[in-house]
Amino acid sequence: MNRPDTTAVPPFGGAEHHSAAPAGRGRDGSDDTAVRVSGLTVRHRRTTALDGVDLDFGLGVHGLLGPNGAGKTSLVRVLATVAEPTAGRVELLGNDLRGHRERGAVRRELGYLPQDFGYYPGFTVREFVAYVAWLKELPGAGTDAAVERAVARVGLADRIDAKVKTLSGGMIRRVGIAQAIVNDPRLLLLDEPTAGLDPEQRVEFRALLRELGRTATVIVSTHLVEDVAAACTEVTLLEAGQVAYRGTPGSLAALGADGHESDGNAVERGYITALRGHRTATGAGR
Amino acid sequence: MNTRQSSLPARSAPGHRFRSLALYSRSRGIPTALAALVCAALLTAWTASRPDAYLDPYRRVPLVALAPLLAAAATGASLHAYTRELDDTAVRRWWPRRLAHLLVLSVLASALLALAVPGHAQEFGAVAMVRNTLGAIGVTAGGAVLVGARLSWMPTTLYFSAVYLSAASPRVNNATVVSWLVQPGPQHGAWAAGLALFVTGTALCAARGARPEGPRV
Repeated sequence: MNRPDTTAVPPFGGAEHHSAAPAGRGRDGSDDTAVRVSGLTVRHRRTTALDGVDLDFGLGVHGLLGPNGAGKTSLVRVLATVAEPTAGRVELLGNDLRGHRERGAVRRELGYLPQDFGYYPGFTVREFVAYVAWLKELPGAGTDAAVERAVARVGLADRIDAKVKTLSGGMIRRVGIAQAIVNDPRLLLLDEPTAGLDPEQRVEFRALLRELGRTATVIVSTHLVEDVAAACTEVTLLEAGQVAYRGTPGSLAALGADGHESDGNAVERGYITALRGHRTATGAGR
Repeated sequence: MNTRQSSLPARSAPGHRFRSLALYSRSRGIPTALAALVCAALLTAWTASRPDAYLDPYRRVPLVALAPLLAAAATGASLHAYTRELDDTAVRRWWPRRLAHLLVLSVLASALLALAVPGHAQEFGAVAMVRNTLGAIGVTAGGAVLVGARLSWMPTTLYFSAVYLSAASPRVNNATVVSWLVQPGPQHGAWAAGLALFVTGTALCAARGARPEGPRV
């Protein structure tokens, strides 16, 4: 296994800014779209969480924004292969998910941080991350090093043998991020990753995101517009199960350029403008 | 992407496999379940060795009904996964692991409880204990699919209570099958009922897994 040496990387990465290739293109200009979704519909009993969504995501960090109930978590769960779509087609890392073999191949290269990931009360940080490495079938010889590297990247190297239940909420969230990156995933799905992190940890986490986005497709579902502005190359805004807006943080900020600072920063104002514009266009006023 | 690991599964070293098995066992609380099984067996042995229970086999009826409940509760609790959402992203299918998990605990529970009941094996002894333990684990495994692992003891307790209390009723037809758990030994109908529950519950749980518990259900 030939992995990049990241042992010297400070906690949460440390890269200041990245020069990611445009979404959907690898550094050599080849098509590197990791996620292709067409006509994706997800229903929970009588509620439609996603309504015929068409999306694709390539290399880089992609922010998924939207109000509560917009369908962000439903989308992430389908992409994480833990939820079945009601209708539509999902292709991940070049694999159609309908076959078990293809699903296994995707899961081997998938990292996932759920909103509520749970942990085994008796496990140390090392054991918990090693458990997920086992789920991902990392080769035995490299598992110990991969676990230590992942834990170091989230700044918990000094707590690696502490029981997870003794850690603070923010630290537990970082353990969740460590388990998501232990297999050096090509597709990384993070659902509310910064919940519980303090401001310093969030800044460090954004640096890690930017670093991960150089070699992987990272999809971050969040409520925090400033995280998207600071770390993402693309923004997708979901509203009522539909794609309300796609663009870059810069283009979203441009939408809110005319507002007043008391209404939030430019990206937040752009978010509100895009959201209201979509509601007006679809007649879905709140 | 030459920095990625090979997509081919590597053959694990025995030490790594053992550590992985240990992690899985601890994640499901299997050491605790085993300790509970041993305690249940010791308690059963102590109760069954009292002179009145030894001399009168019918005094062992509550024992062969209650001890399997304890074993089944311990087994059911071990089906709970704290990280179901992450477990569902495992590369391998879960059903073989769940099946092995249930079979290993069933064999251990049956053996421990069978050894704990002295006296004639045909009269509320080892045979009845094994049959009831398998039946109870089957009902509990099925219950875990319906109500979740942590509450899986409840349907079994309700069902066993209903069968136990109704067994004395003269209105029960086909008592060998309906009141299978209070049959003294190797009655074919009672074994068929116990085994049917075991096979059905175990197969259902292996295929579906315990119902997810927690906020995202």
